[in-house]
Amino acid sequence: MSAVVSRRTFLRTSVTATGGLLLSFGWDGPAPLGAQPATLQPNGFVRLAADGTVTIWSKNPDMGQGVKTALPMILAEEMDADWSRVQVRDAELDRAKFGGQGSGGSGSMREEWDLYRNAGAAMRELLAGAAAETWQVPRASVRTERGRVLHAASGRALEYGALVMPASRRPIPQAPVWKDPSSFTLLGTRVPGVDTDGIVHGRPLYGIDVRLPGMRYAAIARCPVFNGRVASVDDAAALRVPGVRQVVRIPGHENPTFLMPGVAVVADSTWAAFKGRDALRVQWEEGAFAAETSETIAAQCATLAATPGTTVRAVGDVESALASAARVIDVHYEAPFLAHATLEPHNCTADVRDGHCFITGPLQMQTSGARVVAAVTGLPVERVHVQATRLGGGFGRRLLSDYAAEAAVVSQAVGGPVQVVGTREDDLRHDYYRPAGARRLRVGVDAAGHITAWDCHLVNISRNAYRRGDGPPWSTETYGLVAGVSAAIGPDLELDLVPWQIPHVRLRYSEPRTGVATGAWRAPAHVANGFAVETLLDEIAQTTGRSPVDLRLELYGTTRALPAAGEDPTPYSPDRMAAVLRLAAERGGFAQRPPEGRVRGLAAHYTFGSYCAQVVELSVTPAAGTAPRRVTVHAVTCALDCGLVVNRSGLEAQAQGGIIDGLGHAFFGAITIDRGRAVEGNFDRYRLIRHREAPRAIDVHVVPSTLRPTGFGEIAVPVIAPAIANAIAAATGQRLRRTPFLRDGYTLG
Amino acid sequence: MPEIVMQVNGRRHTVDVDPETPLLWVLRDALGLVGTKFGCGGGFCGACTVHVDGAATRACTLPLARVNGRAVVTIEGLAHPVQQAWADLDVAQCGYCQAGQLMTAAALLARTPSPTDDEIAAGMHGNLCRCGTYMRIREAVRRAASLAASPGAGVAR
Repeated sequence: MSAVVSRRTFLRTSVTATGGLLLSFGWDGPAPLGAQPATLQPNGFVRLAADGTVTIWSKNPDMGQGVKTALPMILAEEMDADWSRVQVRDAELDRAKFGGQGSGGSGSMREEWDLYRNAGAAMRELLAGAAAETWQVPRASVRTERGRVLHAASGRALEYGALVMPASRRPIPQAPVWKDPSSFTLLGTRVPGVDTDGIVHGRPLYGIDVRLPGMRYAAIARCPVFNGRVASVDDAAALRVPGVRQVVRIPGHENPTFLMPGVAVVADSTWAAFKGRDALRVQWEEGAFAAETSETIAAQCATLAATPGTTVRAVGDVESALASAARVIDVHYEAPFLAHATLEPHNCTADVRDGHCFITGPLQMQTSGARVVAAVTGLPVERVHVQATRLGGGFGRRLLSDYAAEAAVVSQAVGGPVQVVGTREDDLRHDYYRPAGARRLRVGVDAAGHITAWDCHLVNISRNAYRRGDGPPWSTETYGLVAGVSAAIGPDLELDLVPWQIPHVRLRYSEPRTGVATGAWRAPAHVANGFAVETLLDEIAQTTGRSPVDLRLELYGTTRALPAAGEDPTPYSPDRMAAVLRLAAERGGFAQRPPEGRVRGLAAHYTFGSYCAQVVELSVTPAAGTAPRRVTVHAVTCALDCGLVVNRSGLEAQAQGGIIDGLGHAFFGAITIDRGRAVEGNFDRYRLIRHREAPRAIDVHVVPSTLRPTGFGEIAVPVIAPAIANAIAAATGQRLRRTPFLRDGYTLG
Repeated sequence: MPEIVMQVNGRRHTVDVDPETPLLWVLRDALGLVGTKFGCGGGFCGACTVHVDGAATRACTLPLARVNGRAVVTIEGLAHPVQQAWADLDVAQCGYCQAGQLMTAAALLARTPSPTDDEIAAGMHGNLCRCGTYMRIREAVRRAASLAASPGAGVAR
């Protein structure tokens, strides 16, 4: 069995029903013995073939954030590979080769930089050394360039492919020397995504495209009320639906982020599975939260906000400082549940056989996904094999692996390969939502307009408590709540942010209880917290007659004055924060008078090691009067610093996409709870931003840097909503303190 | 069950499944053409857009019976400058919606060979992109229009 597993390959060709060749997915048996072409593979990340083809594995999956292009670029740069000869593969789960695998927390650039550079540098050193040996010249006299080793003195050159055999006899360098960034030729350029050709020709790339021989399709009925259970099932009508094969009870797991209870209908096609599922008659035990509504949750938050809460962090004496402040601004913010709405619906394919489980699907986190599948199947984790496909969006939804667990338990019951597919209604009504909550902030200002006291009471449902995580319930909810007035002093980029420029600060927390499932949503907690902090700073600036830029610069301070940054290679830097703010303000014309009928707004934020500031220019029609008022976003100027730029095209795409995502959810995004259920079931009610509503222009400006790269998949998101709200306040005088803005009569267009 | 005869990407198919089945699932599960994507099942997102007799159509809400005797083109059968333009501008992020975006864009350019930005926005309004690639889509439609207008325009295939 182990031979089968170790020799499996992911991609294979097969003949489709239409007679054409289809690049398909699957777990194959042993490769045929004999005729293996010579290759050089010093590590798990890269392989060089004698024909010069370079294969690079992306250890983490791509959900649109671009790592499948960016990680191989790092390796190709260090190796001096010819990018046109590089092909990229999605890595299967393999701890020995790749370590922990998964894309999350904007971490791939920050965390895999060393691995990919080392892997590329080792390859380059092997090839350069082999060429020098072949030519009998000193190693120092040869250099590498675009897939070749060159010896300038003699004018000789060898293609990399020709060096496979001599290089394979050399010891693998353990600490290869990295290139100087000044010699980079690939990093920082615009490189199209490596799956582009497959995407524009409709080739199978995604989990939902997996087709295995003998594979069945399954749809799952889940209790409409969160935390409910199956009481009884009448499956007679479902089994009469043509194409339906079997009905499987899913008991669920004690950890609801692993596996929810439900009833699966297994069929010969996706459509038959959906129809069979609709024909099920299930009695549900609705549980303790069947009367819950959005209003009861909001009322609970309001009640808790009036309590002292648990003090999470305190510096100085906030109450005394507030009592002696020249002015106190006391405001209340609200945030709704948000769905992730990945455009590729919930799906995964599993094949449990011979004591092994093969998972092929859109897993964001292969390593933790395998643990979840092991927990629900009872198999040892070493017998859970994961091949992540391309993901049709993530946005935090696929940090959990419940869909892989579902596919695994249904396959286990069926005894063959099964693809579980969810409908859009399944996705929107059974998501692990961005937690709803409220924030009360009280800020004291002295007579000169300086902030002297900052008191925040966060009343937010805890996704950490929901997932049964270690640590206190607030540990996932306080991110960025005082960022912009804070500094990182420890290794954790999010949790150790502490205020340092305001003398009296207190952060309090209260946990509302709900049945609603919660999880991480792109830039978790930063979106709601950043909105409160950045709109409040704007309000303070306006109230005290100060410039919103100057007020922020004062709060940032300087890097020189910051306490030591600990072990983190990318510590928070007030100077970098200030630089992006200045850049956005300058390029966005924040100090200049906007064109007639338009206003500008500004916001800035720090997330996961990256810095972003944005200036928006918009108009509101009508400028005064009653709802609905239409907001037209004419331009967004985005300044960012994420260290050295790896792929400029991908970086600009993430900035544009993050801004559009944040903008759409700020205006439209909300999941309503009624009778313990999520109301919105499709895009007619859960409204996503559309083409006509997008900004007319988004300009992205990058601070040049040679510092270690950090991620940019999330940082643009929390900045746009407060920048828009601040501009709307400038246009109308109205301060928006909750999303979606549609609830306060503002729409986009 | 009555047999349905249709042409898909230039090939004639005789399909013997429930005629109420949406075309989307016939393409994906019966014919193995998985390039056409399932996004919402209600005609709201456009991920499943195909051409039926040349018109951009939502395959997720179109019963197979209504395709009888008609010609369907899916992303696998598309050969149009939009594909080159999408690649040139690196439009895709996750890429899941892009088959539908490309089919809609190709149909838009067939009707309006040189669209204004407003016409692009209106023509593409029914196609959601969850990643927010709208800026590049707009630019790529413009580029495809100019590729199509120039002699010897490349066909991405």
